Amino acid sequence: MADSLSCTAADLLPLLGGAPNATAAAAFLCSRFNTVSTRLADATLAIDNTYLLFSAYLVFAMQLGFAMLCAGSVRAKNTMNIMLTNVLDAAAGGLSYYLFGYAFAFGSPSNGFIGKHFFGLKEFPSPTADYSLFLYQWAFAIAAAGITSGSIAERTQFVAYLIYSSFLTGFVYPVVSHWFWSGDGWAGAAKTGGSLLFGSGAIDFAGSGVVHMVGGIAGLWGALIEGPRIGRFDRTGRSVALRGHSSSLVVLGTFLLWFGWYGFNPGSFLTIFKSYNYTNRSYYGQWSAVGRTAVTTTLAGSTAALTTLFSKRLLVGHWNVIDVCNGLLGGFAAITSGCSVVEPWAAIICGFVASWVLIGFNKLAEKLKYDDPLEAAQLHGGCGAWGLLFTGLFAKKIYVNEVYSGHPDRPYGLLMGGGGRLLGAQIVQILVIIGWVTATMVPLFLGLNKLKLLRVSREDEMAGMDMTRHGGMAYIYHDEDDGSNLPQFKMSRVEPGDTPTS
Amino acid sequence: MASLDCSAAQLAPLLGGNATNGAAAADYICRQFSAVSEKFTATSYAVDSTYLLFSAYLVFSMQLGFAMLCAGSVRAKNTMNIMLTNVLDAAAGGIFYYLFGFAFAFGSPSNGFIGRHFFGLKEIPSPLFDYSHFLFQWAFAIAAAGITSGSIAERTQFVAYLIYSSFLTGFVYPVVSHWFWSADGWASAANPGRLLFGSGVIDFAGSGVVHMVGGIAGFYGAIVEGPRIGRFDHSGRAVALRGHSASLVVLGTFLLWFGWYGFNPGSFLKILTPYTHPSGGYYGQWSAIGRTAVTTTLAGCSAALTTLFVRRLVSGHWNVTDVCNGLLGGFAAITAGCSVVEPWAALICGFVAALVLMGWNMAAERAKYDDPLEAAQLHGGCGAWGVIFTALFATEEYVNEVYPGRAGRPFGLFMGGGWRLLAAHLVQIVVIVGWVSVTMGPLFYGLHKLKLLRISPEDEMAGMDLTRHGGFAYVYEDDSLDNGMRNGRAESFPAVASI
Repeated sequence: MADSLSCTAADLLPLLGGAPNATAAAAFLCSRFNTVSTRLADATLAIDNTYLLFSAYLVFAMQLGFAMLCAGSVRAKNTMNIMLTNVLDAAAGGLSYYLFGYAFAFGSPSNGFIGKHFFGLKEFPSPTADYSLFLYQWAFAIAAAGITSGSIAERTQFVAYLIYSSFLTGFVYPVVSHWFWSGDGWAGAAKTGGSLLFGSGAIDFAGSGVVHMVGGIAGLWGALIEGPRIGRFDRTGRSVALRGHSSSLVVLGTFLLWFGWYGFNPGSFLTIFKSYNYTNRSYYGQWSAVGRTAVTTTLAGSTAALTTLFSKRLLVGHWNVIDVCNGLLGGFAAITSGCSVVEPWAAIICGFVASWVLIGFNKLAEKLKYDDPLEAAQLHGGCGAWGLLFTGLFAKKIYVNEVYSGHPDRPYGLLMGGGGRLLGAQIVQILVIIGWVTATMVPLFLGLNKLKLLRVSREDEMAGMDMTRHGGMAYIYHDEDDGSNLPQFKMSRVEPGDTPTS
Repeated sequence: MASLDCSAAQLAPLLGGNATNGAAAADYICRQFSAVSEKFTATSYAVDSTYLLFSAYLVFSMQLGFAMLCAGSVRAKNTMNIMLTNVLDAAAGGIFYYLFGFAFAFGSPSNGFIGRHFFGLKEIPSPLFDYSHFLFQWAFAIAAAGITSGSIAERTQFVAYLIYSSFLTGFVYPVVSHWFWSADGWASAANPGRLLFGSGVIDFAGSGVVHMVGGIAGFYGAIVEGPRIGRFDHSGRAVALRGHSASLVVLGTFLLWFGWYGFNPGSFLKILTPYTHPSGGYYGQWSAIGRTAVTTTLAGCSAALTTLFVRRLVSGHWNVTDVCNGLLGGFAAITAGCSVVEPWAALICGFVAALVLMGWNMAAERAKYDDPLEAAQLHGGCGAWGVIFTALFATEEYVNEVYPGRAGRPFGLFMGGGWRLLAAHLVQIVVIVGWVSVTMGPLFYGLHKLKLLRISPEDEMAGMDLTRHGGFAYVYEDDSLDNGMRNGRAESFPAVASI
């Protein structure tokens, strides 16, 4: 590694020989080297903050993408409802994550279970965390809550939505992110101090488990407790497709999510200006790993999309852009865990399998009469879990050590020769996430259900929630469809009778 | 700050030894330090330009957001018209701002009223400004013109639109931005000479300069034109002319939110600037920028939540389009003080902005003022609140970070900073309202007198897309009859009439 720029006049002085003014010379030189060092530190902070802030903005764009995906995937009569849930995710999440969510997640120093500093961003920024990190983590937190809204769409009361969303973003999710992403957390690969879980820690780089499984499992419980939408499974038990009203919005949303994923995955490095100090390879640094992560992300999604395209064509006989979009997103949800620690060719395998995992879980859901309008539990829960396992199989030694430095003999992917301990940690992650989300969200959903706050009435569901609870329809393409123009009471015209006289 | 300056003459004697070697050594060392210093300068420019350019692209995406918001908020029969106005904003604005708008705004050195250099970007890049700065400011200028289009939507001739938009982007807006954002401007907080009330105005990203200008201009257009047909019926009751697509409204709102991360934090223009801070070197302009993104976010969040619950109480149901407008009002308000207030203060800003918007909307309805996008109420009203809010909550520490170099400057009234900032801000509100009134008022009135402003009642009833833009925006049923299919298809005779 290159020499440090720190300069102590006392160290330099004897090297200058007996020059009469050696003291002054040493001071002169050291002062300038220290200035260089400070300037470099400033540049690093500016560059890293630029990188992280723009990544945060990209992750925020995923909120818009998910809003459009949701809107297009539900029936027109429920469009305003589902979009409002997405807007409120971001807004309520902003408040709860600022007040206590971020503190529970990253409030170091603390214990392995939950954080306990920075409530309301008190004593912020710190030497290790600036506002850019808060904003980035907020954008992740609202993504998790958004996922759940898809499972319970078209039949959930808005009040229930506000309650579970605040609880998920403000508590359930932050605790999970503490376990796997905080330096204090008991289960993560980045744990500082103390022993790593199975000597490895779980590697969930950008959150296949922390974000996608949490959102998906929460959605699973909400949808199970509520039951399927009216008409989704008919009396003979056959499933009826309740198709979304706009594939343009679905594709718009999918592409926006893809776009934002370039903040979600590569951005999870948090910094870009870091050299890896390989001899004779000064061009290779964290910026390369960041780029590689964007590439693995892309390849997994692309492969999943293509696999879904052809499998669905074989299975149902026609091309289907909606299915391809969902498959694409499943590929992204899966690669999210290992995007930084696997080779690009492995990402192709990840996407390929993710596509089948999604198809499989969808078939299973249908068989069990489980209704999820956005297939959120199958996609985020199912493909998210596959992503964790995938990482346990394919994580490459050199990349693992780049991303999680400090434990040179740590385990890595089973199929790459790294033993089974990483895979073991990943399996533990899957189990504890399922357990924790179940233990927190099931009582909440059951309670809301008992208080009759969860599902809307039959009549409201049949008429559509926009009409009954959101002030009117989302779309008015012709003036005469706008009922608000009608006077309060309709006068009926009294005509002379039309019966012919003859 | 410690320097990298290296003078060989100064270093040589310190190195001792014989004079020749000492001089040669000093010269050698100093050249290395100079090279390092130059590299740092170049690094700063590269990093700052990257930051500013990407912020400019984000601000540009607000144009898309506003186009979608406008489209979704008007009736389907006027969709193509309103979207074309948004496209033309960007396009015409590009030309006029390049030719003279940027010069009027930032052409230094000049007087306090208007700039007079850089016409057609002559002598750019300069030590003060590079192309990234021009692009960033252009994106702001077209935002202001876009706002106004919302107030006069659904009933304005396209020619009138082109005329007022060019005038606003090329002259009215640049002059205002000169007053408050150019170092030469008479009211700017960054003026190195005299400061207005010893303070100058802190309108960091433009609650006044952008939002009030756009909103007040729209107000005049809408007042001169009058309400849309059917908006207020014969008994004076208000009739909601609902927009045609809530999906587009939400899409547009989120894109605006996304772009606001360029609008507010980007207004720092540079990110690689350290601050001397007691805690240490990790705190610099990058921290202030992150904090600005956080205050922006929190103001929007609290405005959205407030609007959600108040509307629910008042009207009995949830309403996503109202929540979206409330959200945007929160952003318009925090825009002035986003860099100089604490995050908790941003929550207050958004909360009040939501109430301000609802209040102005009620007043508008009472006064029979019709604004399809509630642009005057939102941008004008919440923008003015944002100007006042800043004068109440600006903290001493942050004001001096953003506007360094003058000890003892005023800051927010509630933070113990005295009245002078508030006085300067009240002046800002008055002069913006005054300037826009005397420029845009006569323009709209003149267009009206020349019968160039409002479209005919027949065109308005049929919808401008059909009458002036070639057809409907949406073609969801196959218009096969219009495609000439009729010719190729044998007409079937009507069924035999009943005998």
